[in-house]
Amino acid sequence: MPKLRIISKAYLGKPVYSASLSFFRMVFGLMLLGSTIRFWLRGWIEELYIRPQYFFHYYGFEWIKPLGNYTYLLFAVCGVSALFFALGWYYRIASVLLFLSFTYIELMDKTNYLNHYYFVTLVLFLMMRLPAHANLSVDAMRKPRIAARFIPQWTLGSIRLMMGIVYVYAGLAKLNSDWLVEAMPLRLWLPAKNDLPLFGPLFSQLWVAYFFSWFGALYDLTIPFFLLNRKTRPYAYVTVIVFHVLTSILFPIGMFPYIMIVSALIFFDSADVDRFLTRIKIFSAALPVVTNNNMFTFAPPWRRVVVGMFGLFFIIQLLFPWRYLLMPGELFWTEEAYRFSWRVMLMEKMGYAQFVVKDAVTGEKVGVNNNDFLTKNQEKMMATQSDFIVQYAALLHDHYKAAGMNDPEVYATIYVGLNGRRSRLYVDTTVNLAKERDCFKHKNWILPMGGNIYGL
Amino acid sequence: MKKTLLLGIAGILMAAVTFTACKKEDNNNGGNTPAGLDRKPMLTNYADNYILPAYAAMVEDLTALKTSSDAFVAAPDESKLVALKAAWQKAYITWQKVDLLEFGPAENVSLRMYINTYPVTVSKLNSNISSGSYDLEQFGNKDAQGFPAIDYLLNGLAANNADVVNYYTADAQAAARKQYLQAVVNKMLDKVTTVRNEWNSYRNTFVGATGTDVNSGISRMVNSYVLYYERYFRSGKIGLPVGAMTGTAKPDITEAYYTPQLANTLATTAMQSIIAFYEGRSFSGAQGSASMKSYLSTIGTKGDNGELMADLVTKELNEASTALAAINTPLKDAVQNNRTAVLNTYEQIQQVVPLLKVDMVSAFGISITYVDNDGD
Repeated sequence: MPKLRIISKAYLGKPVYSASLSFFRMVFGLMLLGSTIRFWLRGWIEELYIRPQYFFHYYGFEWIKPLGNYTYLLFAVCGVSALFFALGWYYRIASVLLFLSFTYIELMDKTNYLNHYYFVTLVLFLMMRLPAHANLSVDAMRKPRIAARFIPQWTLGSIRLMMGIVYVYAGLAKLNSDWLVEAMPLRLWLPAKNDLPLFGPLFSQLWVAYFFSWFGALYDLTIPFFLLNRKTRPYAYVTVIVFHVLTSILFPIGMFPYIMIVSALIFFDSADVDRFLTRIKIFSAALPVVTNNNMFTFAPPWRRVVVGMFGLFFIIQLLFPWRYLLMPGELFWTEEAYRFSWRVMLMEKMGYAQFVVKDAVTGEKVGVNNNDFLTKNQEKMMATQSDFIVQYAALLHDHYKAAGMNDPEVYATIYVGLNGRRSRLYVDTTVNLAKERDCFKHKNWILPMGGNIYGL
Repeated sequence: MKKTLLLGIAGILMAAVTFTACKKEDNNNGGNTPAGLDRKPMLTNYADNYILPAYAAMVEDLTALKTSSDAFVAAPDESKLVALKAAWQKAYITWQKVDLLEFGPAENVSLRMYINTYPVTVSKLNSNISSGSYDLEQFGNKDAQGFPAIDYLLNGLAANNADVVNYYTADAQAAARKQYLQAVVNKMLDKVTTVRNEWNSYRNTFVGATGTDVNSGISRMVNSYVLYYERYFRSGKIGLPVGAMTGTAKPDITEAYYTPQLANTLATTAMQSIIAFYEGRSFSGAQGSASMKSYLSTIGTKGDNGELMADLVTKELNEASTALAAINTPLKDAVQNNRTAVLNTYEQIQQVVPLLKVDMVSAFGISITYVDNDGD
């Protein structure tokens, strides 16, 4: 045990060049700034956070809501703090503001849940505590005492570990019969792209769907290790670029591929990064590479807190995606415990939901037009996910109650199709959904999928 | 370590290739040729063999309607009224084959709204006639024009032809009414002509948009088709009048309310058009080539018992069609007196909604949403 401690201490505390983490801070911040600007320019703030009448909240985060027109201000805070974050200017404040504003935005409506937003949140959570402003930063220029050419290895390692978890877990999630045996959903998605120039016709071929499925799983499972290994790293990084550019051409996944391409730079040897940045001199004028031989150190009690916090963080990260094992039913079908687990692009799932609200006293019934309450996007998400369905039923109950109906009962006929299976009824049509509550227990009014998906 | 990994990769790749090779042979039995996944021939078939002829036929029928109504207005009598009614019926039936095409040029001018918003609001129509000042272009007048307005003007004023003709001769507002009838007919012809003309240039845009994004030909066409089936066919023609969701019949909102026997013909014609369009038949009903059905069958998604989804859709549509054809009293009466049969028909029609809206759309890799946002 003591030996292990020494080893771990030696490994974790080993100095590495700070240029690597600081360069990551810079490109990651610029990426977030770009994302925020892109989001704003596309009118998505208005479309997703101002125009909808209703927002689906995460369990326990009912109090987080869009702020009306001040939502723009929120995005402005996010963008500006991303810029300060990138520049390493008032880094501590900027990183906290960026984390808070980005996370707030993410929690406003779970309709817009994306795994890469979650990834960004987690990285920012780590970055708030890391000495990422020790180099290539305005802070380091203004306050030379925090300028440090070296940082403890674990600070850099934590970001690498986070990346590694994302990749490996995304790969593990692909180890199921739909993905590997049926080549679903790529088998449906690729032919839809067969009119692309050059490679288009290939996407009509079934073997290409199989190849992409298997290669995708293998890529996710192994790429962090190839990136860690000095000899394979250049090839691995080229693969990272090719893979993510390809996914960005094929699928509407926005900034995610670029964030991953940029983030994977963290795997490069920190000494190489230091040498490279010193040599190219682009930064020397504006944000110089630190040349002192200082090592950034956490004050001893604080270091314990941070290291303990990081340890706990990663234990949670490693365990959290497996929580679905505690749930009965097919994960892809119920989607209970599906989010926050690096399950990316695994399903072609579509639903069709029709709600009827009934007056408990008079028996009078009303058919609901979902678009009177929800946007197209919200309707699409609601129709396939049980926690959305419960919240929507509650909304309908309250709406019709306010309109004078007696104890409105909410019934739904919902058909869901998953990965090319024939659509079937998703919830018990005889259950009054207004009486159901969202919780972490299995919702026993979800009807079975019929059939199995084998694997993890 | 590295060697092991490389060997591992090579092994998995080999396995994948072998596996896919086997899989491919299986599928060849089903006659799946990737050529069937080419969307351009499908769009071309729809545009040239159905859509363009459909608008041409619609313009032709509305021109005939205009000729009849002009003749009637010039000198109203019973025989001209009968001819006018016949022209109106013929055009109304043709409209059932065109209604499912509300995308592109038709969507741009909100064609359906001007042509067939029902029920007609009689009070609005009458106040338009008596005031003499109205603008049929206005959205507010959508329920005072189109086929339903003519239905009222020809069939709803009185029970027999002689009395109807009276409204165009002896009645105090005869002149204003004649003018209104002509205005309504002209508006319809005008709108449909615009759409037909725009299709001449839109045709290439449509056929050339071979992607699957929201602006692609297939996405626009299928979205309009599914929306039509669900909202305007299922709900409009059957569901709302019978009160499928509310449990209360509303006979006064059936289509062609003032010509009760016609409503059934309109509904069955619409049903047949829905089937013909799915199968990619030509406007005149000739066997189709590349269609939504052939495309779906090439993709090859299957039902629970291994039957092709493409065939299941046809089967279920035909069952709905049979049930609909079996309703032999006018819909407006049937929704009250023969509720079981109508509700059963509604159920049959409803069965197909998820097949189209979920199974087909999902297999096509298109989406029903119009909000353009990232996904993952």
